[in-house]
Amino acid sequence: MILNYIKIAFRTLRKNKGYSFLNIFGLAIGITCASLIFLWVEDELSFDSEFEKQDQVYYVPTHQEYDGEWRTFNSTPGPFAEAMKTEIPGVAKASRTKHRDLLFSVNDNAINSGGRFVDEDFITIFSLKFVEGNAKEAFNNPEAIVITQETAEQLYGKNTKAIGKVLKVDNTENYLISGVIENLPKNVTFPINWIAPFERWSGDKEWTNGYGSFFADTFVELSPEADFNSVDAQVRSLLEKKTGDNDSKAFLHTIKDWHLRAHFENGKQVGGRIDSVRLFTIIALIILLIACINFMNLSTARSEKRANEVGVRKAMGSGRTRLIFQFISEALILAFIASLVSVLFLFVLLPQFNLLIEKDLVLGLSQPFHIVFLLGITLVCGIFAGLYPAFYLSSFKPVEVLKGLKVTQGSANYIRKGLVVGQFTISIVFIICTILVYQQLQHIKNRDLGFDKDQLISLNVNGTMIEKFDVIKQDLIQTGAVSSVGLNNSGILNGGNNGSNLTWTGGTNTEDVLIFFRYISSDFLETAGMELVEGRGFYENMVKDSTSVLITESFAKLMGQGSAIGKKIDRGDIYTVVGVVKDYLFDDMYGQSDPVLFFNYHGEASYMYLKTNPKIGTSDVLSKIEAVMKKHNPAFPFEYSFVDDAFNAKFKSEQLVGKLSQLFALLAILISCLGLFGLAAYTAEQRSKEIGVRKVLGASVSGIVKLLSKDFLKLVGLAIVIAIPVAWYVMDNWLGNYAYRIEINGWIFVIAGIVAIVIAMVTVSFQAIKAAIANPVDSLKTE
Amino acid sequence: MKNILVSLNEATRTVNSGSNKVTLLDTINLNVEEGEFISLMGPSGSGKSTLLNCIGMLDNFTGGGYTFLGEPVHSMKEKNRSKLYKEYIGFVFQAYHLIDELTVYENIETPLLYKNIKSSERKAMVADMLDRFNIVGKKDLFPIQLSGGQQQLVGIARALIGQPKLILADEPTGNLNSKQSEEIMELFAQLNKEGVTIIQATHSESNAAYGSRIINLLDGKIV
Repeated sequence: MILNYIKIAFRTLRKNKGYSFLNIFGLAIGITCASLIFLWVEDELSFDSEFEKQDQVYYVPTHQEYDGEWRTFNSTPGPFAEAMKTEIPGVAKASRTKHRDLLFSVNDNAINSGGRFVDEDFITIFSLKFVEGNAKEAFNNPEAIVITQETAEQLYGKNTKAIGKVLKVDNTENYLISGVIENLPKNVTFPINWIAPFERWSGDKEWTNGYGSFFADTFVELSPEADFNSVDAQVRSLLEKKTGDNDSKAFLHTIKDWHLRAHFENGKQVGGRIDSVRLFTIIALIILLIACINFMNLSTARSEKRANEVGVRKAMGSGRTRLIFQFISEALILAFIASLVSVLFLFVLLPQFNLLIEKDLVLGLSQPFHIVFLLGITLVCGIFAGLYPAFYLSSFKPVEVLKGLKVTQGSANYIRKGLVVGQFTISIVFIICTILVYQQLQHIKNRDLGFDKDQLISLNVNGTMIEKFDVIKQDLIQTGAVSSVGLNNSGILNGGNNGSNLTWTGGTNTEDVLIFFRYISSDFLETAGMELVEGRGFYENMVKDSTSVLITESFAKLMGQGSAIGKKIDRGDIYTVVGVVKDYLFDDMYGQSDPVLFFNYHGEASYMYLKTNPKIGTSDVLSKIEAVMKKHNPAFPFEYSFVDDAFNAKFKSEQLVGKLSQLFALLAILISCLGLFGLAAYTAEQRSKEIGVRKVLGASVSGIVKLLSKDFLKLVGLAIVIAIPVAWYVMDNWLGNYAYRIEINGWIFVIAGIVAIVIAMVTVSFQAIKAAIANPVDSLKTE
Repeated sequence: MKNILVSLNEATRTVNSGSNKVTLLDTINLNVEEGEFISLMGPSGSGKSTLLNCIGMLDNFTGGGYTFLGEPVHSMKEKNRSKLYKEYIGFVFQAYHLIDELTVYENIETPLLYKNIKSSERKAMVADMLDRFNIVGKKDLFPIQLSGGQQQLVGIARALIGQPKLILADEPTGNLNSKQSEEIMELFAQLNKEGVTIIQATHSESNAAYGSRIINLLDGKIV
């Protein structure tokens, strides 16, 4: 019996090549799309999931209150880890950590490597596995460092024991390799290439020992029997007790949420990447739905061809259940072929997709889970898409179809039309969303930042860059490639160093506004292209100018009426405001400019900014800069980044949404058009007699094309009407996430509508014209 | 006395066409004994096909009684009815109605599939039938590759494969030329001799003459 169905299915496929192609191709695109998305989703969900203690490991961030609003920071005071461990019974292990990039050199081979200074508990919290050495003795020596296998290979090559070797770090210090651990899984929120005892970093930094500075990433492991709620409550109150302040609360953030649910708003967890994961899962399902709709449409549209077979089979004694079973198996066979085709597509497209989303996904067809999942999609698609046609086709009465009566298609017609409207509604919503996401991205990227991010290069300060700053600057400018050089203790795009306990002439920071502190060299403002709106900039001699400060406009506003110049600010020492700088954006590119206080001091700068000459090519500029840096700071590799790249990177998730929505809009339209194309073909076929009669009676070709296209355009029109409010609602919601946003403009709907109509027209008119120019004699003879 | 196969008692079939009630079959009384060969005659629209379809249980009478082999069909559930006709009735159509996607062999085999007959048994039965109709050489051809007469031969073979008691043939030669139709009618006569009961609808006097009894229909009534 089954064999009989399969045979019939294949012969039907072969006989109706066009129809089969449309069906398989459409479904294959749908499955490909969904598979790509699901691969991405799987990757996102896999973050941190390979660590063993999923129910016990927590990160400890803090909520801090400023200006009535709770902000969330990834930092805790140094002694807090130890305090939790000793004072809260449920906390079994705790580790402070500090992330650093270190320069490892072995002979001529030097690599920059990110890792963490940690407490010993870190090893057990993350169940790190030792390949060389062991967990117990790893931190016995204060000069110890444990590196990953990968790092060991990079430094010493394969098959060389690394343990016991002395490693030169930052060209100044020696570390003793006390162990080699297995590489961390690919997807972890806190990647490390090495760990070393925390004290090696904190050493003589007195401020790391008190509760005044929040700087450490703290991890804890709860004992297996500990109750999360009770421990969390104790963690919250412990920090208050220790700081004597009730405006900072530490809390537990479970390892399961690190990657996907790490957004906090006003002290509440509000999602994060999980939102994108959900969004794209829904999109994947929608695309599959469109593909299945195609299938239903095409199957029922050609029902007349199958009606006879249904009649005969019923007369031969087939019950309805058997026919339903037969049609669903046919759909399943088609779906199966489509999924084979989609595997082919996936092979070709996955590398491109990886480029697009900047991931390294693999098809992994050897993983049983992937196979099962793909089969699952196939099965669901086949059954879902086959169900309606199966019920519809099997309902034909043999007497009617065998007599050659036209199958009454009343209900099927409406359903088919409804499905087409559904498909196009989805496609149009995609088009509108794509346009709006793009507009919003452009809107933000073109926002006046208050500084000039173009032609701006950022270098990490290391080695002798500060001592030799004057010479370096002079040499750089002499090359002609660089017009200005400035130092800053904080990245220009970052939040960083801040505080709120200030008083000034005529007032204090009573509103408890968070003020950001910047320690800069005198030329930083010019380098960054920031604008001085009042007063003067810093003198080059920072010692002479050490009590002068600059403030931004929003800070000046806080200080009240009148010019801020000459006002005094008390931050332990007294400073005088000598200039006001135009507000500029950092950290949150969608938000407002927070007030900034600039000091004329670059002794502890972390970043060197270079404004380059736009007339000289980028590679030329870079090689000139490199030459200067090699001369004055030879021990360190030349590493740089462009500020505008870093700026763009801030929009990664938006950009991903943008790119993917473009892709999926395109595919949704493509699939919908395949369906429309097939449907138009069958309508034309069905109405061939009518067309013949009309032509004999004198209808023109254009009249007939109009006649055939009109119905479809009505459907697309209806789809536009439905899509507009849906798209508006969805996008208004999405834009609601951004403080700095575009308004939705009516003409976007017009454009999307026109695009949809044009696409539908092109699709349908091909068939309509073909039907209209056919010789009426042929169609009339067939009766 | 022979078994009564079909017994119609004031059987009526009406349909609603718009607001009008149209009577297709009007109080038909008919007994068909096993072994009969009945020819239904009458002009187009007289109700021949409707009567055949109703007897074949593809369609239902709307009034009166219908008994098949002593079983009251009119009060049966759909499921039992289909079991009944699957078992005892074979159809032959004017337009043959072979399934285009199946070969001759597979077409003949189809009714057996619906009767859940085992594969080995099916093979034997189909082979017998092919042999009997002299179409062994054509078993792998598709209907489209056959002439009309050959297609109808396959149609009859398909109707016979289930070993029915009753063959219902609606204008079986309507699409054939005279030579082909003569062959088909000879075949029917032969089958009838072998004990198969046949009811055929036909326009042709000469075809009707093959039957053992002729029933004339006009406007849904036996005249």
